[in-house]
Amino acid sequence: MSRSQESEQLLADLKQAILDYAEDQAEEITRKIIEAKIDPLQVMNQTIADASRELGDKFESGEIFLPHLVMAGDAMARVSELLESTLETGSIEQMGVKTIVIGTVQSDVHSIGKDIVAMLLKANGFKTVDLGVDVPCEDFVRQAKTQAADVIALSSLLTTTMPFQREVIQILEAMEERGNYKVLVGGGPVTGGWAEEIRADGYGKDAVEAVETAKRLTGVQS
Amino acid sequence: MTSFHEILLRSKEGPLVEEKAFDMSLFKKTQELQKKYDIHYDTEKPLDLDGTMADRLFQAGIELYLDQGTYCSTTHRVIKVSEEELFDAIEACPEEIELGQGDDRVRMVHRNVEGDQEPIVVAGIQTAPFSDEEMMFKIYEGCAGDRCIDGIWGGILLKIDGRYEVVAGTPSEIYQYRKTVEVLRKAVAAAGRPGMITINNAPTCSATIAMFDEQRGLRRSDYMESTGMSEMKVAYDDLNRSAFALAHGVPIHGTHSSVIGGFSGNPEGAAITAVAASLGLVTVHKAVCFRCGTVDARIKSRVTRKQLWVAGTAIQALNRSTRLIVDGTIGDHPAAGPGTKQYLYESAAGHIVSTVMGAHSTEGTRKFVVGTTCNYGTPLESRWMGEVCKAAVGMDLRTADRIVGYLLDKYENSLTNAPAGETYEKLYDMKTNAPLPHYQRLYDEVKKELKELGLDLQ
Repeated sequence: MSRSQESEQLLADLKQAILDYAEDQAEEITRKIIEAKIDPLQVMNQTIADASRELGDKFESGEIFLPHLVMAGDAMARVSELLESTLETGSIEQMGVKTIVIGTVQSDVHSIGKDIVAMLLKANGFKTVDLGVDVPCEDFVRQAKTQAADVIALSSLLTTTMPFQREVIQILEAMEERGNYKVLVGGGPVTGGWAEEIRADGYGKDAVEAVETAKRLTGVQS
Repeated sequence: MTSFHEILLRSKEGPLVEEKAFDMSLFKKTQELQKKYDIHYDTEKPLDLDGTMADRLFQAGIELYLDQGTYCSTTHRVIKVSEEELFDAIEACPEEIELGQGDDRVRMVHRNVEGDQEPIVVAGIQTAPFSDEEMMFKIYEGCAGDRCIDGIWGGILLKIDGRYEVVAGTPSEIYQYRKTVEVLRKAVAAAGRPGMITINNAPTCSATIAMFDEQRGLRRSDYMESTGMSEMKVAYDDLNRSAFALAHGVPIHGTHSSVIGGFSGNPEGAAITAVAASLGLVTVHKAVCFRCGTVDARIKSRVTRKQLWVAGTAIQALNRSTRLIVDGTIGDHPAAGPGTKQYLYESAAGHIVSTVMGAHSTEGTRKFVVGTTCNYGTPLESRWMGEVCKAAVGMDLRTADRIVGYLLDKYENSLTNAPAGETYEKLYDMKTNAPLPHYQRLYDEVKKELKELGLDLQ
């Protein structure tokens, strides 16, 4: 087997390990990939991106469920971590990994929709920081700064908690930080009109659209 | 029976578990239990006709609940009970409760599968936004006027004095929910039904408590909603509602939805979780009646084929094996909007399954997604809910299966692109508070269609 064929086989095995939710196996293959000096950018932008797309399609068609996204997301996070460790500080940007801080807004404890979006984002190669539910507006801003996030994603399932999405944007504006982050909104009662009204950058009517919007906002290839 | 205080103690001293570990454990166990108890979802059969699988489902639900417990998301502890404590809690639940007052008082009883006990119907456009007091009053007065309905769910006026925004967790929420329930009480009185059940549930416990007032708000003869978080979780804000209701003497109505495609995984897993979580509502929330339901992680309707099977079989399981008072309300949130045939088809399918499986229907009428659109519904959807539920009493499972199969064929392929329908202003005569001729015709056509299929609509 030629060196090129070996590399291709390793990348195919890695993709399959992710699709099999086999975190340990994915880690082992990644170590071999690193030893073989395969370009980490190629691994991230092709292998992991391909696996992500396949997982998203399977979830959308009802073939796999939220726990599968969690397991695949864990495997991909482990792979990314290992690949990052081979790069110099600051090189994560070269890998094109974008960071999203996500949560359900203050006074709102609905989690499932947000969980699905968070897992799909993770499965699509985003570094996803899930702040949970009932998250105070200031915490979104604080965490976005700490994590050097590209996107703040705000979920709201109640008409009376939607104003907190606007409040996060207002805090960013007051702190003159608005230009540093893209703000993505979603949730049952949230519409594109509301997103425009509060000057959000994007809106997802469902989990799949939220991921597509996040990609568009951050310039990640679909 | 394990006291509420003991439950609170366990929520502080139970095993400390990461939420993700609890979620993934739920997935693992539901997948194991469906094999152990031979639980199968058959896409060709929306209803389980002989009930033997429902009996196995009940056993699987018991085992899941004893193994998994209820996760307290406030303390990150798992509240667990023993088998003896669980069965004590089930035994301690009443087989019937009285709701409402005076001539409007009703008995909500345990119902059997295919039973002839009257289901309680609480209609009204549940938790939806209204533009102003006048419109809210008009719509609720119209809903309350129908004798096939036993109670009304409230919504929310989106602006205070037409100007100030209502925000959950702030004083505006308390003020406006209180205001809303006062309008609701006036509306049912104006309809000649002052003792009718009125229900509302605010995002926070404090605003919900603020609605209770024997003279002008919710009463002890209504009930308090105490919601379990999906899946098999509870927060202190929910238990605060239970604490108030227990102290104030208000019956507790629990609600929970398992999630198809969520941590329960497939429909079989969601059915097991629906049973287990219902047992959690009785044990932890101290509910005397409860909604056993499910949602689909991908589709915004409560009446997909899978949901009808999951919720229907879970209700069937609970009603065959216990004397609990189960609420189903599968048809409460159609994908289609009011003023469309699809709304009526979806609503009918869900309410027929609920009723035939032995459930009540107390979660109102509303398109699944209403957003901030105000007045998104009319009294006619409430009448439909009431008419269908009462007409399905005593129906056998085979007839229900046949009618539901027919209805699924009508709407199943249009769930992700369902017609949005219209608001009250486009469907009703504002002066007479009666349906406009085109809406009444559409209603009558669907009613005739279902009567011909064997639904005993009056």
